[in-house]
Amino acid sequence: MQIAVCVKQIPDPGDPPRFDAQTYRLDRSGAIILDDSDAYSVEMALRLAEVAGGEVTAVSVAPDGELSGLRTALAMGVQRAVLVSDPALAGLDALGTAKVLAAVARRVGAELVLAATESTDGYTGTVPVQLAELLAWPALSFARHVELEDGLLRVQRQTEAGYDELRCPPPAVVTVTAGVVEVRYPTMKGILSARSKPVDQLSLADLDLEAAEVGVLGAGQEVVGIEDAPVRAAGTMVTDDGTGHVAVLEALRSWKVI
Amino acid sequence: MLSRFPVVGGVAIVALALSGRRLWQLGQLVTSGAPAPGRKGRWGARLTREVREVVGQQRLLRWRLPGLAHAFTFWGFLLLGLTVIEACGDLFSASFALPWIGHAAIVGFLEDLFACAVLVSLVVFAAIRLRQNPRVLERRSRFFGSHNGVAWLVLGMIAAVIVTLLLYRAAQTNTGHFPYGWWAFASHGLGRALAGLGAGTNRTLETVFVDLNLIVIFAFLVLVVYSKHLHIFFAPINIAFARTPRALGALDKTPVMDLEELTEESRFGAGRIEDLTWKQRLDLLACTECGRCQSQCPAWATEKPLSPKLLVMALRDELLASTRPAGDHAGGSEGRALVGAVVEAAAVWSCTTCGACVEQCPVDIEHVDAIVDLRRHEVLMASRFPPEAGTMLRSLENRGDPWGMGSQHRLDWTSGLGFEVPVVEGRIPDEVEYLLWVGCAGAFDDRARATTQSLARLLHLAGVSFAVLGPRESCTGDPARRLGNEFLFQEQAKANIAVLKEVGVRKLVTSCPHCANTIGAEYPELGLEVEVLHHSELLAQLLATGRLDAGRLPASVTYHDPCYLGRHRRVFDAPRSVIDGVEGVELVEMERRREQSFCCGAGGARMWLEESSGTRINRARADEALGTGAAVVATACPYCAVMLDDAVRERGRSEEVEVLDLARLLERSGASGRGVGAG
Repeated sequence: MQIAVCVKQIPDPGDPPRFDAQTYRLDRSGAIILDDSDAYSVEMALRLAEVAGGEVTAVSVAPDGELSGLRTALAMGVQRAVLVSDPALAGLDALGTAKVLAAVARRVGAELVLAATESTDGYTGTVPVQLAELLAWPALSFARHVELEDGLLRVQRQTEAGYDELRCPPPAVVTVTAGVVEVRYPTMKGILSARSKPVDQLSLADLDLEAAEVGVLGAGQEVVGIEDAPVRAAGTMVTDDGTGHVAVLEALRSWKVI
Repeated sequence: MLSRFPVVGGVAIVALALSGRRLWQLGQLVTSGAPAPGRKGRWGARLTREVREVVGQQRLLRWRLPGLAHAFTFWGFLLLGLTVIEACGDLFSASFALPWIGHAAIVGFLEDLFACAVLVSLVVFAAIRLRQNPRVLERRSRFFGSHNGVAWLVLGMIAAVIVTLLLYRAAQTNTGHFPYGWWAFASHGLGRALAGLGAGTNRTLETVFVDLNLIVIFAFLVLVVYSKHLHIFFAPINIAFARTPRALGALDKTPVMDLEELTEESRFGAGRIEDLTWKQRLDLLACTECGRCQSQCPAWATEKPLSPKLLVMALRDELLASTRPAGDHAGGSEGRALVGAVVEAAAVWSCTTCGACVEQCPVDIEHVDAIVDLRRHEVLMASRFPPEAGTMLRSLENRGDPWGMGSQHRLDWTSGLGFEVPVVEGRIPDEVEYLLWVGCAGAFDDRARATTQSLARLLHLAGVSFAVLGPRESCTGDPARRLGNEFLFQEQAKANIAVLKEVGVRKLVTSCPHCANTIGAEYPELGLEVEVLHHSELLAQLLATGRLDAGRLPASVTYHDPCYLGRHRRVFDAPRSVIDGVEGVELVEMERRREQSFCCGAGGARMWLEESSGTRINRARADEALGTGAAVVATACPYCAVMLDDAVRERGRSEEVEVLDLARLLERSGASGRGVGAG
């Protein structure tokens, strides 16, 4: 079973994001890390491959030959990585990303694609299902548990009430909910071997994609402005001098809760 | 009489052959260990230590009664070596005497004196063993898990040596073969009691007990080399090769972690017995199972599976079971996994690296280094560790601090101070005396942040010029290192060292003992030498030189020695002088203090691990602090402050007892300064 796992390499989400004043594109000049949500799908892919056999390829789309996040996935144990890096991809939107990933999935012969439910920086949550549509594969989202049994995928799909049990023959796209597995910490052997594992660096031309289809030219959406979220106003403090309950009741009435 | 020589001689030859072979094998086992760098040289210091700790019994004497009993037994053992020669001589000639000194009154007196002293010591040992009976006290006995049957056998053998010795000497006083006069008081005294048996019987007694004495001694030799009593050979050797001045502060080994110099076959830490260095192997053979380490261990005291003694014993059993030399893995047969098969994983992760065991060990066993070596293997080779540590490691890796707060918040504590804290841009300006290393706790933890603010205000009051690195500061790597992640530690260290060199650091002050230890004691190995002061030392200096005047605070205060400030950095007096400097303060000490201080539970990366087994260490310590009746529990470490404060709250005593860093205590006293900021 060839498993592809989509990973995003993003600036540390803990640092306040910086945007280009004109293009509103994310400034990626600082340290770049593997998106934490992707660590779970990488872990899930590795566990599947350990049980069902097969290889895991980490796939990423990022500018400037960025490899730091992919190195983390390689150190964790994925066998190889594919990076699509092309200046024409600047301004890529979710659908464009899905098109590139679909091309890579076909190229590496993936029979199963794992991804996070959404990225930590963009939060569109649409790429994996678009990818499934482009591949004409079923999408099984919000997986909390994935296993392969007799060539059949069994997925527990997280719901608000509990989980659904899904069964589906591959190929398929599965999105993995963050936090559902304990992510392995790379060993030194993993870190050291990550340096010599194969990394395919591809351009759009390598994937037979036209810049007009993807990238800013093909983007169906455009960021036209960014504003800071309003600072949350300080709440009202009431010191209880024995009549605190009155203030609470008044507040609840004023919010029309009671 | 003719049969005498072959019997005793035969026993001697067999005993010497058996023990010689055993010692040779053990020697091979030690020397085939992995290299242990830094153990040669500094011979002057090593000799001094040998004299102090072996001849002088310094470490043993820290515990008065057992120390004295051991010292007399040890000195007796050395001196009574003379009597072995005398007994051997007696085999050849009944009137044998030592050459030159053989009739000296002083020799006869000392021999008798120490023979008696050893007997008294044996009674003391027996009493200690009865009072510390592990069958009754179970875990509370320091002998719990030791080979106690053998220990009693050893006491019995020593008693047999002395009793047979005194009996043949007593008989000799009646046969005319005794070389000493009345100064040999015990022999003559006992001799008078035997005199009535007649000359013939006394001659028989002399012969029988000389022979028995020698037979017991040779049998004892065999027992020694096949038991924990091996320490009489290996302890002096172990002490000679011990880390100087002590196995605390920096960790012993700083392995190369440069990716360019490593291969996928590189091994890290101690995963199998083959990975132990020759010094670590010596450590194992030197252990005499006295359990002083166990009696001091905070993990053991709170019902956790770790006892430093049992860990050493388990590793020793594994070592003795292995016959293959290091590096010889021919045929693919590998030793058992040290963590898991030999030592319980939970034991290895229970260690707070507080160093109480190392401090106490009379034979200089380096428990903390060994435990970190075990952890290194688990983390770097096997990626096996408590899962909650993964969050801490990833935060450290990605955000530069174990909490994952991020560098943009490193200056948050400076708001509301009322004065500017200079942030170093290029190089530290000449007029700035200290770089204040805030530390992650000092920047991000609310309680520690209050300490940082107090310290900054005090320095400002005293007119001490200081600056901070702000967002360029990053975790020293201590939690990663103590957890066993040497790679992450060195990544952090290299980045920090580059920044510290770039800004031209000269003097660094920090309120975190862990930072002080890592930067001051561990960064030199990686290329940075800088004068590091803990804030208690700087504040003590400022008070002593009058740049800062303490105010008044009428309160009883107890002081908790942080392990990494006290045992690891040997700063015991400075914090106390700061507290004592405050008028109205009554310092009430806890029973366990200074070198014997009891850990708060947060060291060794335990701050970020769940404490799920046994009772909580911080509560045990807080109970001791509360037991003094003090209104303030002062400490000098952000981790200790958090742990003790939590425990005092959990005990429901936070209304009347406050946990304070000594900088906050000093500020609260209304300290005033002579500096530019004064007025």
